[in-house]
Amino acid sequence: MKREICKILCGCMIAGLMAGCGEEPKEKQTDSSVKKEASEVKTADKKESAGETNIKIWHDGDESIMDTMEKDVNEMLEEEGIRVSFEKKAALTDQLKLYGTDEVNGPDMYFYAHDSLGMLAEMGILAPLSDILDTASLNGDLNEMTLEAVTYKDTQYMVPVYFETLLFLYNKGLWEGDVPDSTDELYAYMETHTDTEAGTYGVLNQHSTAYNVAPFINGFGGCIIDKEGNPGLNLPETIEAVAYNQKFAALQADGDYNTVTTLFNEGKASAIIGGPWLLSGIKDAGIDLGMKSLSEFTLPNGKALAPYSGVQGVGVLKHSAGAKKDAVEKVLSALASEKVGVDLVVNNNCASANEKVYHNSDVAANEMVLTMKKTADTAEPMPNIPQMSVMWGPAEGFLAAVNKSNEDVSQAAEDFQKEAVTAISDIQ
Amino acid sequence: MKNRKKATPWLYSLPAFLLIGIVIVFPILYTAYISLTNMNLYHWNDFHLIGLENYKRALLKADSGFLSAIGTTLLWTAVNMGVQLFLAYFIALGLNAEGLKLKRVYKTLLMFPWAMPAYVSILLWKVCMFNSEFGLLNKVVTALGGTKLNYLSENVPAFLACTVLNLWMALPFMIMMIDGALQSIDASLYESAMMEGAGFWQKSIFITLPCIRPIIAPSAIMTAFTTFKQFDIIYLLTKQKGSLTGASIQTIITYAHENAFVSNNYGLSSAVSILIFGIIILFSVFTNRGLKEENS
Repeated sequence: MKREICKILCGCMIAGLMAGCGEEPKEKQTDSSVKKEASEVKTADKKESAGETNIKIWHDGDESIMDTMEKDVNEMLEEEGIRVSFEKKAALTDQLKLYGTDEVNGPDMYFYAHDSLGMLAEMGILAPLSDILDTASLNGDLNEMTLEAVTYKDTQYMVPVYFETLLFLYNKGLWEGDVPDSTDELYAYMETHTDTEAGTYGVLNQHSTAYNVAPFINGFGGCIIDKEGNPGLNLPETIEAVAYNQKFAALQADGDYNTVTTLFNEGKASAIIGGPWLLSGIKDAGIDLGMKSLSEFTLPNGKALAPYSGVQGVGVLKHSAGAKKDAVEKVLSALASEKVGVDLVVNNNCASANEKVYHNSDVAANEMVLTMKKTADTAEPMPNIPQMSVMWGPAEGFLAAVNKSNEDVSQAAEDFQKEAVTAISDIQ
Repeated sequence: MKNRKKATPWLYSLPAFLLIGIVIVFPILYTAYISLTNMNLYHWNDFHLIGLENYKRALLKADSGFLSAIGTTLLWTAVNMGVQLFLAYFIALGLNAEGLKLKRVYKTLLMFPWAMPAYVSILLWKVCMFNSEFGLLNKVVTALGGTKLNYLSENVPAFLACTVLNLWMALPFMIMMIDGALQSIDASLYESAMMEGAGFWQKSIFITLPCIRPIIAPSAIMTAFTTFKQFDIIYLLTKQKGSLTGASIQTIITYAHENAFVSNNYGLSSAVSILIFGIIILFSVFTNRGLKEENS
């Protein structure tokens, strides 16, 4: 008897183990952990069968920004029977690697920064926009810089929606005199207004973060990586820029994101170089904020600081470009529309990629967005080639070695250039 | 009948074998398979077998830092284990001292670092201790009239900072083990030794250490493994993306992460993983053999 019970139990355990391998029919999915999701899918399925097309967009951004877009697009496409839902997914690029070709569980589209575009395009999971719509008519009102950002190997894969750049943000209550127009004058101000032992600073920057030093590197004519995928850490222009940044770094605390933002928000620094993402913390701290475009500062070589710009846009997964082409086309056009652009500026302080937006009176009153728009004149889109994903490590290692470990700039440039070359060869 | 008898235990063990197969063996075999392919960004869906090419590349990397990473890992393990056993032994002795009041309170407090999630502990130490602006260490240094220091910007101070943090996090476990072992020693041994005129060191060397060795050896080996494959402390203190400190300490795990896993080259990453897996298996074989010899 015991033996029989043992056999039955063994059988049950094996059946239990194998149960997960089976594929249940959709209508029977009742997993409690995804109950909500399942009910949403069922509702969506019902609606879909009633003639409504559902478009699922994955993102990894600010929920309030996605809410603005979702509300606008759904209003605009209600009569067309198209419903868009934005779903937040942490580590979005990793999720897309797993679900990019999964028509059932994956998204139809994704909303993300443009710098991972090359990687996703090379994986072959993205559809070129020209397969879906007439890009010439869509791009008419869109900013040139943002269009360059979403184009990889002469093919446009995304619709740019808004962009971000670094700004010079200063505390009007602490800043003395006018904000200078050159970086040398800025350095002179820092020298007279910084007491590192007392923990008070003139201007702060994440001096060893590649994105934050890029305005200097690009302005000097150097680069982190060029368009062909060659690392540029040991270019004379890059070395010159990093050496120039080094003297600023000595007056900018340890350059860590948390340290510099806390110092600025606590009123221990007169200014900070940062992006619009700092705004909510600064507002909460009650700081009377002033701002200036980085493109209004000139370097010793007479050129303006040229920060990287990050363009947030929407891309289409290949399977949706075939199955839901018409709906996807309408969603893309809606996201590129003036209405979405204006609402993003008014509600979320996002600098729209749609040029028409800037004629709107509400937009014209938004200082932050206008400052970013001005910066777009000299800003360079972050490289979107796959090689860029492995360049952050060597570039920041180079900056940290120079600014924090006081290594020789030229020697460090050579060392990290070698590291970058190896990292790039490792991709293939 | 005889065959049936032989098969029965296997049949009963089958579900457990299946579970172990699915959860442990399959991922290792699949990683080994991927390590023989060219699966990367450019061959995401159309990857194919390329033989031992990835292993060749992984081993050629030995010239550019893999060997020094192994050296650092061995140093890291040896220093941490040595200091950990030494300190834990004396702290446990202190906790077992006769007449010590509030023993339980001390023991409970000592458990806190071990009970805290590692991620939280590490970031707390990074900001509250080592941060050049807000850290306690620099607050003390400046209060004493010194100049601010950056504890994580160079290799030697960063290695020491990581060691101190690792000791803070790992000591409670070792103290608990030694404390338990100390309590199992027959008190009459000490009484006899005292009557013979033995002092503290003689009692420690001839009674305490031989008595507790069989009990703490397995926990010491377990801790040695944990220390050997330590990743969080070194990565989060010195190499966190976006806030590199300037130190370039590399253990084999941080080296593998930096050189293989960020590249999206899954074939190469898998080859590096399998090599590390082999090193850990070798390490485990040696330690188990040592333990067996000691027991016999």
